[in-house]
Amino acid sequence: MIEVDRVSKRFRLSKKQRREMGENYSGGKFIQSVSDVSFKCAPGKIFTLLGPNGAGKTTTLRMLGTILTQDSGRINIAGLDTLKEPDKVRGKIGFLTGTTGLYARLTPEEMVKYYANLYGISGKKYIEKRNSLFDLLEIHKFKDRRIGKLSSGMKQKVSIARTLIHDPEVVIFDEPTVGLDVITSRNIIKLIRDCRDEGKTVIFSTHIMGEVSMLSDDLAIMDRGRIIFNDTFKKFKNEMTSATIEDEFVRIVGGEK
Amino acid sequence: MKNIIIIFLKEMKDILRDRRTLILMVVMPLVLFPLIINISSKFMMKLETTAKTKILRVGVILNSNDDRIRKSVISRDDMTLTDVKDENSIESMINGKTLDFCIVFDEQFDNKVKTLQQGEIRLYFKSSAKNDISKRRIDKLLADYKNDLLEERFRILELSTDVVKAFNINEKDIVTVKEKFGEKVGGFIPYLFVIFCFVGAMYPAIDLGAGEKERGTIETLLVSPATRTQIVIGKFIVVTLSGIISAILTFVGLYASVKLNSEIPTEILDLILKVIDVNSIIVIFTLIIPISVFFAGILLSFSFFANSFKEAQSIMTPLNFVVIIPAFIGTLPGMKLTATTALIPILNVSLASKGIISGTINNGHLAMVYISMFLLAAVSLIICIKWFGREQVIFRG
Repeated sequence: MIEVDRVSKRFRLSKKQRREMGENYSGGKFIQSVSDVSFKCAPGKIFTLLGPNGAGKTTTLRMLGTILTQDSGRINIAGLDTLKEPDKVRGKIGFLTGTTGLYARLTPEEMVKYYANLYGISGKKYIEKRNSLFDLLEIHKFKDRRIGKLSSGMKQKVSIARTLIHDPEVVIFDEPTVGLDVITSRNIIKLIRDCRDEGKTVIFSTHIMGEVSMLSDDLAIMDRGRIIFNDTFKKFKNEMTSATIEDEFVRIVGGEK
Repeated sequence: MKNIIIIFLKEMKDILRDRRTLILMVVMPLVLFPLIINISSKFMMKLETTAKTKILRVGVILNSNDDRIRKSVISRDDMTLTDVKDENSIESMINGKTLDFCIVFDEQFDNKVKTLQQGEIRLYFKSSAKNDISKRRIDKLLADYKNDLLEERFRILELSTDVVKAFNINEKDIVTVKEKFGEKVGGFIPYLFVIFCFVGAMYPAIDLGAGEKERGTIETLLVSPATRTQIVIGKFIVVTLSGIISAILTFVGLYASVKLNSEIPTEILDLILKVIDVNSIIVIFTLIIPISVFFAGILLSFSFFANSFKEAQSIMTPLNFVVIIPAFIGTLPGMKLTATTALIPILNVSLASKGIISGTINNGHLAMVYISMFLLAAVSLIICIKWFGREQVIFRG
């Protein structure tokens, strides 16, 4: 379970960043990345966070992962407060991004073992989980090759194994298919579904409409740091006034004003 | 603690597989030194030997003066008399490599010498590293001739040679070999290990900070249960250790290059090894630890700030000078460890090492170096941890 209650986050801008914002920027030294955001993700469901680039999706997910801390509001993950018990929260989370985040000079075996060690998974439990993931993702045949020499599909498989080695209750996917080929993207889509079917709490961010319709149980649309829609995907579809999901999304975020 | 060890072991394995790190940390100090020292000493020895044994082609234009010099040249096995027609042809002969030196007597030379005036001899040659060594033989030849003429003058004037020597200085230098060695070479050794300690730690620091950001692995690491302090300490130990290993290997490389150098006479080799005794080395090693920690703190802080390997490199390259300058000042003659210099980072370690090698170290000053360096090392670690905890630094830009 993920509970996000009235969370806000702003960043201080450097002089260079303020210059880059253009002459019309009048927001002062800070930029509000996330404003008063609230939502809930239930176990056994896929919660999709949809929004254009710069909407605040990554910042929100980073706050869930305790990488960033919110300025105000409360985040509760698997019954734990992210500000009070960040270390414990991280133990319950699996975090996967589009940038695979792997060490090129390690082998898949070493990479997965490293994270298992950090999560305190060892001995028989590690062997069992590692074997099942390596079987499922067919990692065995390249497990001893340096990651730097693997294809992007192989790397993504290693990333998935790394994300799930500690069998997390909550899985966060931050635009996980960005830059990946069709086959690898499909593997990710399957993984997200598998996580849901196993009863995990799944939240994923995307700006790809196809993924939204394929995966979403619940949907929140973010724009300029705010949640502008938050309900079930079914309700979103039923209340659509545009012909396609994409058109409806553009209409809601006001992209064609 | 467990997470620190896990991170340390992984990072150590990772950087030891990095070719750039290995070259800078291991190969450079271990292989490059023996190679440079051996090649340069062999080259110098060869130059010296050929310059010393070369049969010099010497021309003598007497201009009707006494022919003693000419006879001396003919009588020597290491010189051969070369015919020179006139003074104008000397330069072209030397440039054409048919002549090495030419001694030209002034036409009035004998007359002037006989009337107790100063005669004039013009010596033609082309200076070079090799020729300068050969010139010593010509200088000696002319000096001997000069002494002969002086003695003749004294004889004619019925004077003792003591007349021109008001007193004789009998020098009693009480400096020990250790002190002399420490003063002359003692500054050079810390200069090398301080620089290699910094350079050896630089690449691991870049890789473990900015490299992690560039690869996008920082995010996954931050989502693991390891705390930020544990992550920094794990990385910090690796960078510190890299600096220490580099500095130690610089010593080993220097030791090996001296020991394996067949050109160094055994008595000098024994002397060097006696001067740099085990105790001195141990004390110097204890200084390497805080300076490596200090470097690790600075390097990692800059590395965490940078967003890419390239940016980190461009930030850290000027830092090399900040390290080289105080280390170099330490090598200057006359620079000694005082209450003030003991508090200047890098310079203090350089001067303390110099003092340890020469055996002239003041224990009070050494204690000040330890205290200031350990304090500085602790501060650099704290700053690095705080710095890594800042969102603006880790997610800059």
